[in-house]
Parts: sequence; structure tokens; C-alpha cells
Amino acid sequence: MLKYTIQRFFAMILTLIIIATATFFLLAAVPGDPLVTKAERLSEEQKERMYAKYGLDKGVLERYIITMKGFFVGDFGESITFPGETVWSIAEAKLPVSARLGIQQMLIGITVGLGLGIIAAMKKGTWADYTIITLSILLISIPHLVFGLLLQYIFAGGVVNILPTIGWPEGDELWFGGWEYTILPTLTGCFSYIASYTRLLKTSMLDVVNQDYVMTAESKGLSNMRIIFKHVLRNSFIPVCTNLPMSVAMCITGSFFIEKIFAIPGIGLYFTSAVQSRDLSIVLGWTVLISAMYIIVVFITDILYTVVDPRIRIRGGKR
Amino acid sequence: MDNIKANNSGFKPEDFKIIGCDNADSDAMARPTITYWQDAWRRLRKNPVAMISLVVLVIVIIMAAVVPIATGWDLYAIDAVNKNQGPSSIHLFGTDSLGRDLFTRVWQGARVSLIVAIACTIIQAVIGCLYGGIMAYFGGIVDDIMMRIIEIVTSVPSLLVNLLMMMVLGNGMGALLVAMCITSWCATARQMRGMIMQLRESEYVLAAETLGASPKRIIIKHLIPNCLGVLILNLATHIPQYIFTESGLSFLGLGLQAPEISLGNLLSAGQEQMMFYPSQLICPSIVLVVIVLAFNLLGDGLRDALDPRLRQ
Amino acid sequence: MENILEVKDLRVSYHTYAGEVQSVRGVSFNVERGEALAIVGESGCGKSVTVRAVMGLIKGPTGEVKPGSSILYNGEEILNYNKKQWSAYRGAEAAIIFQDALTALNPTMTVGKQIAENLIIHKNLNKQEALAEATEMLRVVGIPEPEKRVKQYPHEFSGGMRQRVMIAIAFACDPKLLIADEPTTALDVTIQAQILDVISDLQKQHGTSVILITHDLGVVANIAKHIVVMYSGMIIEKGLCEEIFYQPKHPYTWSLLNAVPRLDLENKQDLVAIEGTPPDLIAPPKGCPFSTRCKYCMNICNERMPEFTSFGGEHKAACWLHHPMAANSIKESGLEFPFELGGVENE
Repeated sequence: MLKYTIQRFFAMILTLIIIATATFFLLAAVPGDPLVTKAERLSEEQKERMYAKYGLDKGVLERYIITMKGFFVGDFGESITFPGETVWSIAEAKLPVSARLGIQQMLIGITVGLGLGIIAAMKKGTWADYTIITLSILLISIPHLVFGLLLQYIFAGGVVNILPTIGWPEGDELWFGGWEYTILPTLTGCFSYIASYTRLLKTSMLDVVNQDYVMTAESKGLSNMRIIFKHVLRNSFIPVCTNLPMSVAMCITGSFFIEKIFAIPGIGLYFTSAVQSRDLSIVLGWTVLISAMYIIVVFITDILYTVVDPRIRIRGGKR
Repeated sequence: MDNIKANNSGFKPEDFKIIGCDNADSDAMARPTITYWQDAWRRLRKNPVAMISLVVLVIVIIMAAVVPIATGWDLYAIDAVNKNQGPSSIHLFGTDSLGRDLFTRVWQGARVSLIVAIACTIIQAVIGCLYGGIMAYFGGIVDDIMMRIIEIVTSVPSLLVNLLMMMVLGNGMGALLVAMCITSWCATARQMRGMIMQLRESEYVLAAETLGASPKRIIIKHLIPNCLGVLILNLATHIPQYIFTESGLSFLGLGLQAPEISLGNLLSAGQEQMMFYPSQLICPSIVLVVIVLAFNLLGDGLRDALDPRLRQ
Repeated sequence: MENILEVKDLRVSYHTYAGEVQSVRGVSFNVERGEALAIVGESGCGKSVTVRAVMGLIKGPTGEVKPGSSILYNGEEILNYNKKQWSAYRGAEAAIIFQDALTALNPTMTVGKQIAENLIIHKNLNKQEALAEATEMLRVVGIPEPEKRVKQYPHEFSGGMRQRVMIAIAFACDPKLLIADEPTTALDVTIQAQILDVISDLQKQHGTSVILITHDLGVVANIAKHIVVMYSGMIIEKGLCEEIFYQPKHPYTWSLLNAVPRLDLENKQDLVAIEGTPPDLIAPPKGCPFSTRCKYCMNICNERMPEFTSFGGEHKAACWLHHPMAANSIKESGLEFPFELGGVENE
């Protein structure tokens, strides 16, 4: 287990180095100079100093080495558009916002989704099943974007005017409080989880129900509830686990849209504007950081997988 | 139960003449055999939801092809007098902030979005199959290295890669295609590789080889039918994803830009007018949702129809 | 009560896309208390479906036990049981061992818990007591180091050991009726004998009644008192073990016996395969289902299903060859009977 973790750790570092390198050279190929608009009004001397500050007076390779060295000591770069803001200072200010949004929508979405999945599987063939499945297909067909915009329209006075449709709790209420601001964005985000987890768990449960060991459980005289909770569910969660990394990716992707629609000052909104203003150092730093978070989640999922399914023994582990 | 005597009268001696058995006859199947594709098609046809989706899709495609030409409204000409109109008999979806007919523009947007999605899907399928095929064919270190590449590409959330590519390549149609395809082929490649590997180790292919089937025959009779089902399903589920991504990128201002028309552009234009002229947001939204819904439902039907485990 | 189980005119169908598959078409047999009954027949003849009906494992919407069927357990109609009665019956009164222990054991639950489950609900033990009892059960079925094994998962066991675990689960609550559905088919020949020994030892100790299902006549010789031969969803011959082995009456039984390798004959013996395939149960033939594969098929065989002919005691066979009008034609045809010790008695 330890050996495996160490192996994975180095593989993760290597992957990140490759991602950083690829992103760096990709961004080096971006046409135009990020400083052009800013530099117009400056004197020749100031301009030179500014270019030197961001290392843009040096060659690509030299800049690459400096950047990578920076990554290894934890220096992810400074914003060009907003001097003084570094990747870390942005993380401190904006990551909690995105994290709260993400955690809220995933928790609610996955819990409700799994619950509905169980109901749909147990009531297979009844109106409850059909309603749940039809709704989930309908919901999965509405993009975050459209769903968010429609919710915003409905609650911003188009139909009713009871919830704030823009903004996010800040300061003391960063983690708890200001709930009314979080309702619509969370709702927008959680629906796609509800839809996908409902269908996933239902399919998986119906698959498991037809397995021989469920018949064994029945032949022992166990009650239906006991069979479902002790035998069916745990086995049904195995394919559900595989979907977790995808959900986290969906959470990151979704945050770009949700944060833009509801003007939430999170990472997604910041990243989008950084891309638009060609703030290269921020884009590079955040691409690496987001990838790192994602890779760690995938790693955690793999560990979780071995907990749920004892047949999987990690390479290098005991037994 | 054992009362033979009672029945005795009804029998004739020739009834008890031994005729033996005709083995050829007993091997004949009582039901007609149907091929995998016939069976899949039969089950798809029996699925009303999938068939309705198919019809809706055909209608949508015809609309997208015909409407932008047939309505007679110019897609770009500004009409300052008739701006921000609600839906009417002249302008079915109303007009936008520059007085352009929304009905025409929405279907033009649908056309662009569909073309982009279908083009991306084809690119994805071709690259994925080739890449997966090469991995499975060469195996060993080639397979290892190519698999690592996939792992690295997939370890970045794909929207991030899309955004970066759009940033580098600019906002054209070509850039959009490249940006959207750059990550999506991985899934197809992985699936194809798994499929081929599994097939190569499967016992029925071994049996076919032992019986002297040529590689060509194995590819045509076993490989293609097995992979095609998976591929069709894969593609049916990816088209909605592309439509999502395209509209999303355009909405973030990083997809196709202003003079070009796509559903994403129309949505972001609609958001600006949303509070006062909701129809400008709702009309493109509905068309987008209908298209994606139809693809999803059809994909669902295809999944059921193509799953050999569900054959009965 | 002489019989622990009486099955009368059992009919089971499965509803599929292609139509109604009549898997079991009117099967009747009795299981005597403390004795073993073997059900023999080839794949797909309805053996497993029959015993699943006895365990109440035929599930809708595809599976259906047809009205008119009757299964009496200790004189009680189990087909009318409610949920609670089923729960009390399954596992405690009757237990089943499946063919493939790998798929029949839950892969994500320790072996100990799977045995203990039974004890917890039927004997009202708490978790610790049940696990201790489960360890004891593992020891009884001959699994070495049961204290260690009880905490392991099924994939950590070998095929034979897994089947022993299945037996431990089945015997945990000391059932009165044990059903073994091809318990040795998935195993090596050497392991097969051990597993059968475990089952027959436990049967003798506990006085359990057993229904043993197999497609291999060689397996049943030492265990079963009665044998039922099934073909395409029907019983075509039944009787005491010796009767079936030494005086088989049905051509299908002859063929089955010819397919068993024997040690008492010289090594030149040819094993005879049964040509052809059983009929499609979606559209079963109106005559004898074996007629298309039977060397002695007569015109009448294709027309009408034969009724049972009794040969004294409980030995019965359903074949037109034993009709009085047919007896001559057999003699005239001068066919020799395939099994050395058997043969039709010229009545």
C-alpha cells in the first residue's frame, strides 16, 4: 500500500511536470503580447522594466526554466493584468467560494441522485420509476448554462422575486451563512448530478439484482430490505465510484458557467477573465493547480475503490 | 395415470411401427434465427421513445437545413425599426436587439451547432479508432507509451484544455473543431483498444482461427460488428456533449464570435435582454434542449437495443 | 408424515420477447423424509427451475409458477405463503446450494458474515455469537484454519473451498430439506468426490432430506435413494436408484446411462453421445419430446404424449414402447438393449 502510494505520488508529479510544460509552450505560442495594451502608455524605460519583471525579455527556454523552478519552490506566478495578485493570493480569496459551491452541489446532487436511483430500481416498472427516469433524462439534457439562465430569469423578477440572483456570501459568511445567495447556483449545479447518479445507480442495481448471490441471499430467507442494503447496494456502488472523478471534473467545468451566470467571485470566473485578458502567468499557474487537484481526487477515488471492492488489491500491496 | 387399457381402442398397429429418428431434423431450430443487427433494429423500433426522438431529430435536421434559406429574412441585416419584437406571425420567435428575425437566426445557430457537433464526432471516431487500433495492434511498449499519453491528456479537465486551445488558436470554426476534439478522442481510443484486446483473447476468435478463418474474415465477421455497436453508442452520446461545449464556449466568449451565429452566441445575447425580452433567451434555449434531449433519448434507446446481454 | 415434500403438477413458464418458454411442464414427485432424491437430465431440461420453484425463487415479471401447481412442504402449500412465511421457510427449513459458488457468494462481504447472516435472522443470535458459530460451521465442512478464513472474502478461496462455504451457509440453520443444484459441476473430479462426501455426511448426521440435481448419473449412485429423470420440462422416468440403473425403461435413460463411463466393463467401451438437441420449449411438440432423437421412435410418438407405465413399486416411465400394442414390435425389431444389466422385461 505504502509502496503503491509512493509510486503514484511520483507518477503524479511527473504528470504535472508534463502538463506544466505542455501548457507553457502552448501559451508561448499565443499570438500577441500580453503587455502590449498596458505598455502603450509607458515610457521606454518603464516598459523595459515591466518586461523584465515578467521575464518577457528573455528567450522562451530561459523563461521555461525560470517558471519550472518557480513551480518547485511553490511560486506559481503573478498576474500581469492585476499586478500584486499572485496565484496563491487568488487561491486564498477565491478558492473557498468555488469550493463551497462545489461541495454543496455535489453533496446534495449525489445524495438525492443515489436516493432516487434506489427508489427507481426498487419500484421498477411503476409510475415512480418512469417519472424519475424521465425527469432525469430531461434534466441531463438541459445544460448548466440554460438551466442557470432560466432559473435566474424566473427568480429575478421574471416570475417571482424572492431570491437574490447575483452575488455570493463573503467575509464571515464565506463558509456558513448567506444561504439565500447559494440556493440558485447550488440548484443549477446539483441537477446534473441528480440526473446522472439516479440513472447510474438504477442500472447498476438492476444489474446486481440479477446476480446469483442475490438469489443466495433470498434463499437464506433475508427480507427484501436487508438484501438491498446488505448485498445489493454495496456491489452497486462499485460502478458508481468510477464516476466520481468525472463528477469532480464536471464540478470544475460547471463552475465556469455557474460563476459567470450568477456573478460569483470564484476561480472559474477569474480563470475565464484571465483567459480573455491573456493573463498568461495566471492561466498557466491555475491550469497546473486545477490539474493537481483533479489528479489528487482521482487518486483518492482509486483508494476508495479498493475499500468498496475487496477483490481489487492495489499493485504492490500485501496479499 | 397408468390406465392403458382404457385408451387401447383408439390405436392402430401402424402407430407402433418404429421409424427411428432423423437427426438432421432434430437439429433444426424451431424459431427463425435473426442476426444481431436485425434484432437490434427490431428492439429499437419497438421502443416508442427512441422512435419519436428519431423523428424529432430528422425534423430538426430538415429545419436547420431549410429554415435559414426559406424564411427570406437576412441573417445579418439590421432593422432599427423592428427591434426587440415579441413572437408574432411575421417573426415566429420575434426579433433581437438589432431587429433581426430570431426564427431564422435560431435555426441557423442550430445548423452551425449541429455541423460542429457532427464534425467533431466524426473526427473523434476516426482518430479514436486509429489510435486504439494501433495501441492494440502493436501492444507492448508502444501501447504503454500511447496509454501514458492518454492518461496525461485526460488528467486535465477537458474544458480547461478547450479554453487554452481557443486562446492559442483564435476564435474561428477550425479552432473550435480542434479545441473540442483534442481531448475527446481519448475515450474512444481507450474503448476501441479494450474491445480489440478482449476480442483477441476471446475464445470464439481463437475457435475461428483454429477453423482456418483468415484475419480478413475475423476482422469483418467478428471485430467490426462487435466494435460498431459500441462506436455508434459512443457517438450518439457524444453529440449532445459537443453541443453543450460549443454553446458553453461561445457563452464564455471563447467560442465562435459575434457575426457568426451559434446557439451559444444566441444564448449569451439572450441573457443580456433576458429581463425585458425573455423570448430572446427562451427560444434558443428550447431549441437547444430539444436537440440534446432527442439525442439523449435516442442514445438511451440505442443502448438498450445494442446491448447483446438484453437479447431474449 | 412420510414425505417432507410433495410436488404436484408443477408448471413454470418464463415470458420472453420470443414468447412463453414452458420450462417446467407438469412435474410431480415426492421427497421422503431423511432420504435423498436425485433429479437427472441434460442442460435446459428444467431441473434447476423446478427446485427454484421449491425455494420460491421464481420471480416476476418474467418468471411465473402456473396456477394449478402445488408444492406441499410438510403438508403445507408453500405456493400460498406470504412474505413472512417465506422468510421463515427459506434458510431455516429449506436451503439451497448453487452450482457456481463464485457467483453465488457476495464478492464484497466476508465469508463469515455471509454465514452469520443466516444465524442472526433465524436463530436470533447476536453478531459475536453468529460469527463464532460461523467459524464452527467452516470447521465442520472441512475448511482448515477457520478462525482466519472467516474474515476473508470469497475470491480468496479456491473453487472447492468456496463450495464448502456454500454448504456451510446452507447447513448453518440445520434445515430439514437441502437442495443441491449441480453442486459439483464446476469442480475438478477429485474435489467433486470430497464435496459429495461432505454433503452426504452432513445429511446422515442431521437426517436432512436432500434433492440433488445433476446431469451426471455417476454422481448420484451412492447418495440417492430415488431418481427422477427429466427431459424438456417433464419427468420421463422415475424410480428407486437400483431400478433406474439396472432396469431402465425409457430410451432417454438408456442413452444417459450409455454416456456414463464405467469401471466394471473393459476399456473398449464406447461412450455414446446423444445426438441432436432437445426441443424448443417455446413451441413444445405435441408428442413425446424425445421422439426426434429416439432410435425407437414410432408413428404414435410424434402424435401423442405417452402416459406413465408402472413397473411395480414406484418405478414408472412415460414411453410408448411399453404400450401393450408396442411390445411385439420391439421384439420383432430385434433391437438389443444398450445397458448390460438392464433391459426390458418381457411382460
